[in-house]
Amino acid sequence: MVTKVFSPSKITFWFIISSILISGFLFYSSATIAETINIYSHRQPFLINPFVKAFEKETGIKANIIYSTKGLAQRMLAEGKRSPADVVLTVDISRLNVYVDKQLLLPISSEKLFKNIPAHLRGPKNDWFGFSKRARILAINTKRVGVDKIKKIEDLARPIWRGRICTRPGSHVYNRALLASIIAHNGAPVAEKWAQGLVYNLAQRPQGNDRSQIKAIFQGVCDIAIINSYYFGKLRNSKIAEQREWTKDVRIVFTNQGGRGNHINISGGGVAKYSKNKKLAIKFLEFLSEDKAQRLFTKINFEFPANPSIPYSKELLSWGAFSEDKLPINKIAELAPMAQRIIDRVGW
Amino acid sequence: MLVGNNTFWHAKRSFYGYFNGWSITTLAVALVFVGPFVALFVVATGDTEGIWSHLMQTVAPRYALNTLILMFGVGILSLTFGISTGWIIARFDFWFSKILEWGLLLPCTVPAYIIAYTYTDFLEYAGPVQGVLRDIFGWTSARDYWFPEIRSMGGAILVMSSVLYPYIYLLARTAFRQTSRSYLEIAKIRKPSSAILIDLSLARPAIIAGLALVLMEVLSDFGTVEFFAVETLTLGIFNIWLGMNNIAAAAQIAGIAFIFILSLLMIERGARKRQRFYDNTKKNVSVRLQVASTGRSVLYIVICVLPIILGFIIPVSILLNFIFRGLSTSNSEILITAAFNSVTLSFIVSLIVICLATIMVVTTTYKKQPFLLWLSTISSLGYAFPGAILAIGVVTFAGGVDGIIEKIYVYFSVAANNGFLIGGAGLLILACVVRFQAVGYGAIVAGVSRLSPNMFAASALLGYSFSRTVFKLSPPLLSRSMLAGGILVFVDAMKELPMTLLLRPFNYETLATFVYQLAKDELLEESALAAIIIIFVGLGPIIILNKYQRK
Repeated sequence: MVTKVFSPSKITFWFIISSILISGFLFYSSATIAETINIYSHRQPFLINPFVKAFEKETGIKANIIYSTKGLAQRMLAEGKRSPADVVLTVDISRLNVYVDKQLLLPISSEKLFKNIPAHLRGPKNDWFGFSKRARILAINTKRVGVDKIKKIEDLARPIWRGRICTRPGSHVYNRALLASIIAHNGAPVAEKWAQGLVYNLAQRPQGNDRSQIKAIFQGVCDIAIINSYYFGKLRNSKIAEQREWTKDVRIVFTNQGGRGNHINISGGGVAKYSKNKKLAIKFLEFLSEDKAQRLFTKINFEFPANPSIPYSKELLSWGAFSEDKLPINKIAELAPMAQRIIDRVGW
Repeated sequence: MLVGNNTFWHAKRSFYGYFNGWSITTLAVALVFVGPFVALFVVATGDTEGIWSHLMQTVAPRYALNTLILMFGVGILSLTFGISTGWIIARFDFWFSKILEWGLLLPCTVPAYIIAYTYTDFLEYAGPVQGVLRDIFGWTSARDYWFPEIRSMGGAILVMSSVLYPYIYLLARTAFRQTSRSYLEIAKIRKPSSAILIDLSLARPAIIAGLALVLMEVLSDFGTVEFFAVETLTLGIFNIWLGMNNIAAAAQIAGIAFIFILSLLMIERGARKRQRFYDNTKKNVSVRLQVASTGRSVLYIVICVLPIILGFIIPVSILLNFIFRGLSTSNSEILITAAFNSVTLSFIVSLIVICLATIMVVTTTYKKQPFLLWLSTISSLGYAFPGAILAIGVVTFAGGVDGIIEKIYVYFSVAANNGFLIGGAGLLILACVVRFQAVGYGAIVAGVSRLSPNMFAASALLGYSFSRTVFKLSPPLLSRSMLAGGILVFVDAMKELPMTLLLRPFNYETLATFVYQLAKDELLEESALAAIIIIFVGLGPIIILNKYQRK
């Protein structure tokens, strides 16, 4: 009896090969257009897309994006010299620092960038540039907390606020950076005591994001919340009426005015070390530092422009002027692991 | 000695022998699957900067304890949901039982992170439940009353069980249906109440297979525990990786969790080593459905409807409500592309998983090579790693392979390449296959474990080759398990998030990544339409699955 039996290994082999080829063809055909740059972004598409569109319109260069909150540095490490990335975009100085640590960014020289971005918002080797700033501020319930009752970030640890403060978990980058700034100014022991005091004062277990902290104030769960400035702007200008309602009785407080100033963090980016399109990549960064893009930062996401010559949007102006902490931003990244240890110890 | 006997042994050796396409394929595939794990273990050997003493003194015990509580809680609750409903559906005929039969599968189309978001929206202070309560009782603020906090351990157990129990339900129900009537008849003669014990012990491999999937999913979950701020090992892994910039220690914790799951499985396997039950009887002796009395019917309906309400009706109604209120983004161009990407990716992944899982299970079951069995068992545990961590393993592994390929290219002085694996969709497919192998493998193991080895032995005796036997016998005997596994993989891949985020090609958006970018910012309302599409695309296959299982 002669029956033809396909060997399973052969079938599997061809099956896998053809699936990979077909899918590769399906998904990967767009990456060969002439003038393109490839962006690895830790920032969400709905924030980045308007910038990319404006850039494409202005220059005719097509931008491809991969967005992921985590792991892009590991991906670039694994890709090594073969990496297709030209530009890396991220928020938070510690994340930028990961790229610096692993030497994934290329020091660049650009007159435009040097002119537009102040020195304290650039990497020491000009391997990264900050494009926007956000302040970590307090949101307070105007009905339950008197004006001027709270002025410094250190005040959050005072016993009078027992059971009245809301925050997201301490291990989130924003809180970790805040604590790192307190370590930088007051030393680790004082910072740990502060964090401990803050944890005693929490109204509920740290949870949710900054948006839900404002919601918690609206719900009467707490009176004070630690938030990033742009969340306040986003909620006040939300499409959803309910969300605008949350901010009704909320006032924001820039901390440590008259002292060191309010802690800030940045969003930024750099050119990938193994970029095959360095010129275009630099062009994209330059674009981000200039008038049009800088205004978009203030308009779309209510962030403060890094370029000092750009005027604030109406919403930002309505918050009033404030002085920002001039601590070299690199210091934050340096102290972040120590901050995380404190956060682990106090259980924030 | 009879000559014939010799021929038989010769035939047996070639039938069950070592060096053949089946074993070699299994070995090759298992090695590829294990590659990312090995890469992770290599990552784990990096410098941990003495972080362990800090972790042990501070968060590690809490992370471990919380993880155990969560696994235990979700395990118990999903077993309760899954076994009770599976048994009722498999044994009784009552009103709506045909609808409930597939209805009970629906929750598995709902991603855990989405159910977490919707429940929070539903049960929090500003949500409808508390709103109604305040209206009724005249409360004015959160300080006036106590309401259980959904963002808590209890909440996590509830929502995760509500969407994970279908694994147990499906596998247990199939097993109950295949229980031979003769066993139950004997049980009834001896002691009527012992019938359920017979059912349970015969279905044990299937139930355990389902439970293992549930527990691995719980262990690796990030979305839900992050949103509910339940500090599990997985949350800790991310704090250590991203917060302390220490991927080595993070990979070590993931490795420990992986070994923990592996040892649980081994213990269980050891415990039932000597109990194997095969269905030796002829077909058509499956248990006839018992018609339930009115009172019983009501009870059964309540038991079966509860998990459907929790895991499907509530989250879907909330999402639909967002859509009808016009709060959802409906950029049809993006949504259609994303839906297309999700479906093709899931389809390709499920096909590959099922083919490979079947080959591996059949080979390791009948070729009886202990090493291969171990290797393929381990290779099917990708599910136990948090997705993002597995993605790191996959990308590191692929980077290594690409590096070797490049060296070969350079050696033969062919032009330099841009890497084969990284950058295209192939890597993402590989990652999904490694991760969801567990689901396919589990389903097929459950199917094969009920087959009598006599069938294969008979085929061998008749002089058929192993390959021919497999191709002849697998379709009638394993098609149900293959379809069940394939559909579960499909539905799971539709929901997959962290690996897609990291490994995708440029400009590649799936429904899950689309939902995530909005839901992450607590803009659930805007992502509702995409979330609903994920769920509804899963419905079709689930209904097919159910129909086919009943035949």
